[in-house]
Amino acid sequence: MSAAGVRQLVSNLICLVALTVAGPVVHATIFPYHGLYRISLPDAGSVGALAVDGRDVCVGQGDTVSLYAPTSAERIDHQHLDGTVRALTTVDGTIVVAVSDPSRLEFLAARSLRVLRQRRLGAATPSELVYDSLARMLFIEYRTAHTVTRLDPQTGRALGSVRLVGALGQMAANGRGTLYVVNSTHDAIDVIGARRMNYEGAIPLQRCSTPRALAMDTVGRRLFAACSNGRALIVDADLGFTFDRFPIQYGRDLRAAFAFRPLGPHGWKGGIFFVGGGAVSAIQMQSFVRYQAAGRFPLTRRVTAFAIAPPVGVLWLAVAPSGGKPAALWRLGTPVSEVR
Amino acid sequence: MNGLFSKLSTRVLLIWLASVLISQGYAALQPWPKLAGKAVLFVTGGITSPKPNDDAAVARHLRNLGFVVRTVNAAAPQAAADGAALIVISSTANAHELGKKFADMPIPIFTWNTFDYPNLGMTGPVLHRDFGVIDPVQQYADSFAVLYGFGANITSEISRAVGLKPQLFGTLYLEPETAGWGRPGPGGTVIADFFGSRRYAAVFTYEREATLENGRTAPARRVGFYLGNDDFHLLTAVYGPPAADPNLRQWAIGLKLFDSALQWAVSPPPPEPVYDPEALDTALRRAARGMKVLYVERVNGGEGRRSDAHIVAHLRRLGFEVKVVDQTAPQSVARGMNLIMISSTCSKWKLANKYVDAPIPLISLEGLLSDTLHFTGRDRYTDYGEHGEILESDDPPENYLDIVGAWSPMAAGLKPGLMKFTYHPGVLKWAWPLPDATVIATLPNEPREDAIFGYPKGARMADGFIAPARRALLPLDNSSYDDMTPQGKVLFDAMVLWAIHR
Repeated sequence: MSAAGVRQLVSNLICLVALTVAGPVVHATIFPYHGLYRISLPDAGSVGALAVDGRDVCVGQGDTVSLYAPTSAERIDHQHLDGTVRALTTVDGTIVVAVSDPSRLEFLAARSLRVLRQRRLGAATPSELVYDSLARMLFIEYRTAHTVTRLDPQTGRALGSVRLVGALGQMAANGRGTLYVVNSTHDAIDVIGARRMNYEGAIPLQRCSTPRALAMDTVGRRLFAACSNGRALIVDADLGFTFDRFPIQYGRDLRAAFAFRPLGPHGWKGGIFFVGGGAVSAIQMQSFVRYQAAGRFPLTRRVTAFAIAPPVGVLWLAVAPSGGKPAALWRLGTPVSEVR
Repeated sequence: MNGLFSKLSTRVLLIWLASVLISQGYAALQPWPKLAGKAVLFVTGGITSPKPNDDAAVARHLRNLGFVVRTVNAAAPQAAADGAALIVISSTANAHELGKKFADMPIPIFTWNTFDYPNLGMTGPVLHRDFGVIDPVQQYADSFAVLYGFGANITSEISRAVGLKPQLFGTLYLEPETAGWGRPGPGGTVIADFFGSRRYAAVFTYEREATLENGRTAPARRVGFYLGNDDFHLLTAVYGPPAADPNLRQWAIGLKLFDSALQWAVSPPPPEPVYDPEALDTALRRAARGMKVLYVERVNGGEGRRSDAHIVAHLRRLGFEVKVVDQTAPQSVARGMNLIMISSTCSKWKLANKYVDAPIPLISLEGLLSDTLHFTGRDRYTDYGEHGEILESDDPPENYLDIVGAWSPMAAGLKPGLMKFTYHPGVLKWAWPLPDATVIATLPNEPREDAIFGYPKGARMADGFIAPARRALLPLDNSSYDDMTPQGKVLFDAMVLWAIHR
């Protein structure tokens, strides 16, 4: 890293740590992460999609997919696509990108971002991609069409589709052939049999208003839903039973992610992170049945995408341009994260 | 004229009550819409409540069910319950502060305040023996065990509403948790239990007029529930596609059990039976028309021969068609019968397992058949036994019974407490039936030795046996029938009427 890069890194670190300390204390528990550094993005517009494959950070911004090295903060490569990047995910060494105008899938080589192949999609604009690596199933969601389609992860061929009723939010797959889609119209989680893409029913989210975000622990079989009324619910997916609730930030733009042992020691066996509403908050998983609120980190800029890198316990946030500043990637972690 | 009309009307009403109510052990649950708007007094610990607790969630749930909830703390005066249709007591209320102020109130009580059970007379006073609370700090292993309840009773209104089966179910969601248990008195009904023993009741009830552990009678319905301070949100339930699995639906029934028990508590109890031998006699005569009784005895058996003859004569006088057979007759003789009555003159050994599975109501006058007939377990002198048999019992002869199930039509309107069953002390048999049985009378000073009880059809009996029809014990020694008091004979008739009712 250049001297200027180091200076920027130190500057950002001081800034974000100060922000952490000075920010309003909204929960007794201390949020375990601090700002490590941030990367200003050269392209215009907000980041629409973000993925971490364990080594590099893949960013979809406007019509460009870029690859960043997390340690040097340098852009390794980028690829312009004809259209707007709506979602992306990694599939066995390939980056699958959902692009609109026209709607299609682009399959890129993970390191070089070389376009391997394309697959035309329907007329609707894609909203989200989820790859279930255990079941080897790829799902694409079209929120404007209220539809979820299962795709062949290698070719992008549509294998089945289900139309749902209501406003759809984040998706999560259980690795065993079931897909969950949070439904903010019905305050519920729609359950889809992924093999046939049939609607199996809905899990109600009681006292949860307009849920938008959803994540899943496929081992513990827990669903984590974030509600716009400042509640996060932990649901036993086998029973559809909400057994715990935690206060989180209010917000209609929440997104959720779960990771096993993002920090490991000190009682952490996993973490659930909710981003949006001007903050990122955490719930610590102490066991499959015991969870604890783990604080909140206020954010000064709107987050447009986020991802978690479980092996190193790092959160990546993509923040929107603001006050003349371009979009940026913020990296949150602990000193331990850096060592590892 | 008016007086005569009034008397006639009353008599008709009593006959109707005797004939109709005797057939029904429990009144039906009031539908939820009819319970909406009823006032509930919710007693908590207020600002002194241990934290965390689920009192707010419970209050919200009660409101969602349609109740008008008023929350008070344990120090609130008794008058706070005026106008309430139900008192709900949380474990967060200090039992010593609660004292006995609600004990005698004729208002139903639903409580998970385990330490308050003795105040209400629902259990004895001794911690760990009569009641207890399992918590993850003091009893870590047991706090996992209380995640599993057992459907001890499958025929009560609560059990039917829940679809309770004689199997384990999930009480609370997965975490080692705090839960209370109690050992109810002889008039109590265990709905669900812990640790594989009905001595550790997780959910238990007292019908109005049932005898409490302290010998008093319940002034209104009482329910004890296993919850701890912050367990309510962990009461099991299943939602969404997993609810399509019937096994899961029968497993995750904690919340349903809570709601059904609450519903039962606030529903009106059945009318109190009135002691009126004439009305009972009339009702029985009506019911007896066209009914056939198989009377099984030791024909020409010597002792008891006269009593057997008198019982048969009494049944025939009531209008029953009675067929008398010897104990050695094959079970096929019961075909077409409406009631089997087994005399105490029968030899348990010779009778073998006959009539056990007969899909016909059965009354045994012989208590020693209790294991054969699956009324109870097979441990003689522990599960069943006798008083007054010189060579077979250490207990003296007895002629009184203690009525503990006065609320039941089987008790014929007799008041709770001691009643003279026979004129002279003699042999009285007893058994300790399973929770599905309704216990009417125990032996005096022996609250676990039940003399008169009945199992409804479909009840879970001992050895996993399911009652193919009503089953009852009414212990008469060989010659006791001729020595019965009028009250004793009324009990006999009430039992017959209960048993034959379709």
